[in-house]
Amino acid sequence: MTPILRKAALAAALATVALSVASCGGDSPRPGELHGAVLPAPLPKADFTLTNTAGEPFAFREETQGYVTLLFFGYTSCPDICPVHMANIAAVLRKLPPQTASRVKVVMVTVDPERDTPERLRTWLNAFDPSFVGLTGSTEEVNGILRSLMLPPAVKQGEGETDYLMGHAAQVIAFTTDDRAHVVYPSGTRQVDWAHDLPLLVEADWRSE
Amino acid sequence: MTWWCSAQDTAWEWVWQPYIGVWLLVASMLLGYAAALKRLGPAEADPPATRREVTSYLLGVLVLWIAADWPVGPLAAGYLVSVHTAQFLLFTMAVPPLLIHGMPQWLLRRMIRPSWAGRVARFLSRPLIAFAVFNVVLLATHLPVVVDGLAGSQLGSFFKDMLWLFAGLVFWWQVLGPLPELQPLSYPGRILFLLLNVFIPTVPAAFLTFADYPIYAVYELAPPLGWISARDDQQLAGIIMKIVGGFIIFGTASVLFFRWYVREEREEAA
Repeated sequence: MTPILRKAALAAALATVALSVASCGGDSPRPGELHGAVLPAPLPKADFTLTNTAGEPFAFREETQGYVTLLFFGYTSCPDICPVHMANIAAVLRKLPPQTASRVKVVMVTVDPERDTPERLRTWLNAFDPSFVGLTGSTEEVNGILRSLMLPPAVKQGEGETDYLMGHAAQVIAFTTDDRAHVVYPSGTRQVDWAHDLPLLVEADWRSE
Repeated sequence: MTWWCSAQDTAWEWVWQPYIGVWLLVASMLLGYAAALKRLGPAEADPPATRREVTSYLLGVLVLWIAADWPVGPLAAGYLVSVHTAQFLLFTMAVPPLLIHGMPQWLLRRMIRPSWAGRVARFLSRPLIAFAVFNVVLLATHLPVVVDGLAGSQLGSFFKDMLWLFAGLVFWWQVLGPLPELQPLSYPGRILFLLLNVFIPTVPAAFLTFADYPIYAVYELAPPLGWISARDDQQLAGIIMKIVGGFIIFGTASVLFFRWYVREEREEAA
């Protein structure tokens, strides 16, 4: 074997070993293993502070450190997508083993601060799970966060003073313990999807990515 | 304009909606019956339709109307699986016996007079065929892929509803079919037929009641009504399927048993 061929064979062997170490570590779910929509490139965890339903500041990045965090932008008068997402996540968290469920935080930021007072948001979230975090901020603050996550701003639909809908991003963003989002869950995500993915998201070691 | 109830993406509202297809079906059933009684009429040897028969037929059409029209129809099509199950029971366990009981024998004979109709009636009157038709329809129309696939389409929902009605008619013909020329089952045979049909509905009922997660996407992802979760709704559906369906079947079997007993007593006394 010539020196060049020997070097090439060694390089190929090393590459094979490196690849197999990376893949057989089982650290992070392989593409296609998750039921959610895997992002082409991970999204850094947003760094913002809004007000929680107790009226206290909630620094999202720090408060959710070390948890799988499901971030959703919705509103309590939403007739369809928001309550379905919240109900499905809550139902699955109740069924998961406590050691898995306790490592998941659900945060909903209201896109309708005019109607969603902290009290109203708290009451609405309590109907699903009292542990769900509700955050309020000004429209500008919330739209800024949406933009930072490459999501469209929320849009008021309808002319009514109190009777209107909000057009908003329908996906739940799942931030993992590496403070990045690798996967999002669009409208239409079912309980079986959450039940399948949440344990994987909790157990995965994303540092190997 | 919607002509038949199907799943919608909009939030449920207690606002009446017209469903023209349901009205046309109900109207055609009423007009057809009235025309048959008036124009065709019984032969000289046949008794005319009794008040009881007419009342039974009208009740059957009324129950069908309730099952297919607003609010039961749209709630069943796209919002609550419990209402979907109740609708299934109305279409298969309530409407068919009322319609069959409401048909005078001479009218049934007229209907199967064409040779092809007679052949079809004789084929469907066989207990094993009736058992298979009813249970295959029951199982097939409760498969998630079928429920989710048909719910969003008016034509699909119509097809499923009519399939239920057809399966119910075939099923109840074994129990109530009055024509001797189609060789009806004896009382014990009818009771056995009913009891055998208790077991297979247990399969979808068990899935509905004991599944960890909602099995139908259409109901799980429907805009929620607010007072019942998808899981509770599904469990309620399973209970309705098992308990109400079982009650109808066991209740009918009990009535048949009582009639059989009375007839035997009379025959012995004679």
